[in-house]
Amino acid sequence: MSKIKLLTILSLVIILSLSILTACGTKTTTTVAPTATTIAAQTMYIGGTFAITGAYAEDTTAVLNGFLDYAKYVNDNHIIAPWYTDRTLDKNVTVQVLWGDDQLAPDKALTIYDDLKSKGLLTERVSSTAEGLALKEKMNADRIGATSQSTSPAYLSPPETIFTNAPIYTDSLAGAADWFISNWKDTTRKPRVAYLSADMASGRSIDIPEMQAYLEKAGFEFAGKQFVPLVPTTPPTTQLSWLKDNKVDLAIGFMVNGGSQPTIKEAVRLGMGTDQPYKITFAFANPAHLQIFVPAMGTIGNGVVVTGDFVAWESNVAGVQFANALNSKYRAGNPVTNIMYLDGIIEAMTQVEAQRLAMAQTGKTVSQLKPVDVLEYGFYQIKNFSDGDITISPLSYGPVLVCGVSTVRIQQVQNGKIVEVGSAPLHNIYKHE
Amino acid sequence: MTLPSGIFQGSFKQDMAVFRTKTQWLMLLALFVFIFTMPLYASDKTLTTLTIIGITIISVLGLNILTGYCGQISMGHAGFMAVGGYAAAVLMARLHMPFLVALPAAGLAAGIVGIIFGLPSLKIKGFYLIMTTVAAQFIVLWIIIQMRSVTGGADGLAVPKPEIFGLVIGSKASYFILVMIIACLATYLAKNIVRTRVGRAFIAIRDNDLAAEVMGVNLLYYKLTAFFIGCVYAGVAGALMVNYINYANVEQFPFINSVWYLGMLIVGGMGSTVGVIFGVIAIQLLQQLATTAGPILAAVMVPQAAASLALIANGLVIIIFLIFEPRGLAHRWEMIKAYYRRWPFSQ
Repeated sequence: MSKIKLLTILSLVIILSLSILTACGTKTTTTVAPTATTIAAQTMYIGGTFAITGAYAEDTTAVLNGFLDYAKYVNDNHIIAPWYTDRTLDKNVTVQVLWGDDQLAPDKALTIYDDLKSKGLLTERVSSTAEGLALKEKMNADRIGATSQSTSPAYLSPPETIFTNAPIYTDSLAGAADWFISNWKDTTRKPRVAYLSADMASGRSIDIPEMQAYLEKAGFEFAGKQFVPLVPTTPPTTQLSWLKDNKVDLAIGFMVNGGSQPTIKEAVRLGMGTDQPYKITFAFANPAHLQIFVPAMGTIGNGVVVTGDFVAWESNVAGVQFANALNSKYRAGNPVTNIMYLDGIIEAMTQVEAQRLAMAQTGKTVSQLKPVDVLEYGFYQIKNFSDGDITISPLSYGPVLVCGVSTVRIQQVQNGKIVEVGSAPLHNIYKHE
Repeated sequence: MTLPSGIFQGSFKQDMAVFRTKTQWLMLLALFVFIFTMPLYASDKTLTTLTIIGITIISVLGLNILTGYCGQISMGHAGFMAVGGYAAAVLMARLHMPFLVALPAAGLAAGIVGIIFGLPSLKIKGFYLIMTTVAAQFIVLWIIIQMRSVTGGADGLAVPKPEIFGLVIGSKASYFILVMIIACLATYLAKNIVRTRVGRAFIAIRDNDLAAEVMGVNLLYYKLTAFFIGCVYAGVAGALMVNYINYANVEQFPFINSVWYLGMLIVGGMGSTVGVIFGVIAIQLLQQLATTAGPILAAVMVPQAAASLALIANGLVIIIFLIFEPRGLAHRWEMIKAYYRRWPFSQ
């Protein structure tokens, strides 16, 4: 037995040493240069991780539908958008969406990322902050650029390879503060502001000293902070009463509709709102889309402000017309009405544009492209890229420019309708270490 | 094949050995060869999946000691992982400590926090203890978020790549090897802890704590020891997780993970070390299957059809096991082994 043990231990040591050496060594890859110039069918992959399970499921499913329909459009028309008829893809190139449901779990995002990368996805998308942060270092190591629907301040810290099409939450809410203070008439006192935000990483990401300093510098008196569950299981009476007791005039925060709707319903029940006995304005950053909020809440939601969001679906801009056309063509009788469908179209368009630019600048075909080509010759070269005015400004990205837009759109519910009440500049409040 | 069936053991030591025959040793060797040569042929996805399985096994081994052997049900295990994860992250990123110092320190930190939250276990048990461990999960995450200057708050903290004796563990393959070595050591330790006096005290407490106390088992000491050991495992797993991702964020340790860890124990079989391995592999592979099936299902139906597929599948499997095989896969494995040993007389 002892000989067997000795043999086993010795073998183990050898195996371990060999495997560690193999694992730590750099892999050599042989690249075969293309010899034929025949036009073969090629596939351009877009997509990434989508959280179609969890609190963002409804929004993210709409994003996925946007991706799927946009891919069909490009395959049918070989142009990237109706307003970019000169930006074409060869007819031998087929766009295909690769995706996986990360269930809002960072470890799931890791395996999906590896899987999609092995299938040839040269770009990525991340569904929320936690997944973005989980993938950030991996994507940087692989030099893969990604699009995202979340706009966490953490994306602003290097490496900056996750590109958003909305303002970072802190900048978005600073826009709400700017707008509020410009409309403040009482000269006897400063307005009082507090955070009313979702109790999770994105919601708490606004709770930084720089944000409070900005609010105080802008002329507010900072009253404090309250957090509610992302999707409250009971009405947030305590938090709202606290706002009332502390004479708060403006409550700002990050919420999704699952949180903002019950919160505002309870606020109205407590007599809080712009047209209620206790005057207070609630302002939320981008994911609290008024396009979902207003149809569900109607006039109960009067006075609620959302910043950094897309244009209203009812507007007649080219981007919305495009989305409507995609809905009509590919979803006849069953259109997607969630506003995040527009996000899916923009993200898909950005990924296709990044690959198209990379092909044009490097002279490579899509199958010859490497992720780094798409990042450096694609994403980084996207400047003044129009999404048909869905976002408030054209999108521009670069090595230190991850937030595509240049201003913050401010929308308010007035008489049960979405009204665009102004815009504010980006203040770049978050300062990474 | 000489497996331990009808083998005469000449001493207590031989009788108690985990591996008793040459065949068993050779099978172990073959298993190690299979595991440690995997980076040579497995894809990145496979390595990532197996690395996460390895980390989860370490964590659930701790939960098995606490819950499976000592009967102290914890639903805050992901919170204890967070303690270890953040301890390692802060030590490595802020204090520039080496990985080999940060890893045991992370385990120790989680163990100490485990003792604090385990203190009520002397007075309360069952449902009430579950509630205190649930509270532990949320208190831990709340404290981490509040300590922004140290932990990075809600934004989290970037963690440098681990280095061991100057060797950067940066590739998937090297990290897989590291996790597998630690997982093997953790399994070996867990298997042996429960065969000691301490382990027997755990089992006595689980089966009847009053009877155990009457027999002289110090309940406070052993319950807190179980919390400490279980949380050390969780802390090490948390440290490995943040080092793998190179980032520490509170959302890496959600409450639902604490629930799934218990689910893994149920599927594998509570109070069985091999059951932990079976349970973790089964649930993780099921998750992967659901993730792969999602887009396929969505393509033939609608994307909504794939929503929550993994959660539904996991829940169903746990229900099925609770009804049809409450002793878990480990029991099935024991039956297979018994069948093999008795063959051709097994019926």
